[in-house]
Amino acid sequence: MAMMPKRVKFRKSQRGTMKGNASRSNFVAFGEYGLQALEGSWITARTIEAGRVAATHFLHREGKVYIRLFPHKPVSSKPLETRMGKGKGEPEFWVAIVRPGQVCFEIGGVNEVVAKQALVRVAHKMPIKCRFVRRRHSL
Amino acid sequence: MEKALLLKAEIREHTGSKDAKKLRKDGRIPAIVYGHKQKPVAISLDRNTMVEGLHHGRRLMDVQIGRKKEKMIVKDLQYDYLGKDVIHVDLMRVDVTETVKVAVPVELKGVAKGTHEGGIIEECTDHLEIECKATDIPESVVVSVKEINVGDTLHAGDIELPDGVKLVSPPEMLLVTCHLVAAARTTEELEKETPVSPEVIGEVKEAGEEPSGQKQE
Repeated sequence: MAMMPKRVKFRKSQRGTMKGNASRSNFVAFGEYGLQALEGSWITARTIEAGRVAATHFLHREGKVYIRLFPHKPVSSKPLETRMGKGKGEPEFWVAIVRPGQVCFEIGGVNEVVAKQALVRVAHKMPIKCRFVRRRHSL
Repeated sequence: MEKALLLKAEIREHTGSKDAKKLRKDGRIPAIVYGHKQKPVAISLDRNTMVEGLHHGRRLMDVQIGRKKEKMIVKDLQYDYLGKDVIHVDLMRVDVTETVKVAVPVELKGVAKGTHEGGIIEECTDHLEIECKATDIPESVVVSVKEINVGDTLHAGDIELPDGVKLVSPPEMLLVTCHLVAAARTTEELEKETPVSPEVIGEVKEAGEEPSGQKQE
């Protein structure tokens, strides 16, 4: 299993809604360059891990990768060939809720060309449209 | 000395999100003017002129409201959810002779010595709060990182500021560090650290046992 919380208050959660745009985590805060989501989606822990591996593998121990997502939400499912009923299924995987505008990954310590190439590789792993963003230095 | 940008403003009679949206559709930016113990005034500015001025690092502006021309500085900007467009501007009335407190961006110059030894430069803070005359606001504070080795840090107090500019941010505030990059952990290593399933706070494992989230006394 990839990322997941260490302690939770409840094992299972309801599906919830993904209304609106990101009002926090919507700017580059740690690195110099970032990958911003342009669509809303659930991003699974496996996808986040795939993105992390893609970026770190490309950077060859250069620069630093910041993951701005964390899968807090458990998703449950019922086993195959099971009749309906008998309660909610068991948690299968964990997801992060991503709204449009959320900065998912950041890279620092490398130049823009390298950061862009690394983040393009991460974007290919994501199930949503993303764009490359720079840190805003002015007001 | 910073050159002031001339902006023609229109007073907004109707405020609120609906009217602000209409203004943005018409190519204007809603703004608010305050300061000098006068009543705040809701105005709108031409987007193209404003954004162009901001791109050139202009902070001081001559704003013409009706027949009155006042000097103002850009105190705050609000962006849309993607951080692309400016959706609102805060302007503060200033006098040419008075000193103002503003946040200016930090610009790193040069290649650090530490980067040749495998280190990376991490910019911990990208803004510095300074106090200076309204006409002398620098576009950015240039910080040379050439002499920084691995393990070195640069604090706000270490920076040489231009004449007439005083530091307001705490001098011990960390600006730049140079450190070695830790080896990226593999998926297998991460899997070992993460539990198979998270601990549930307050869950009773079996009848008669203590809840898992509580410590035994």
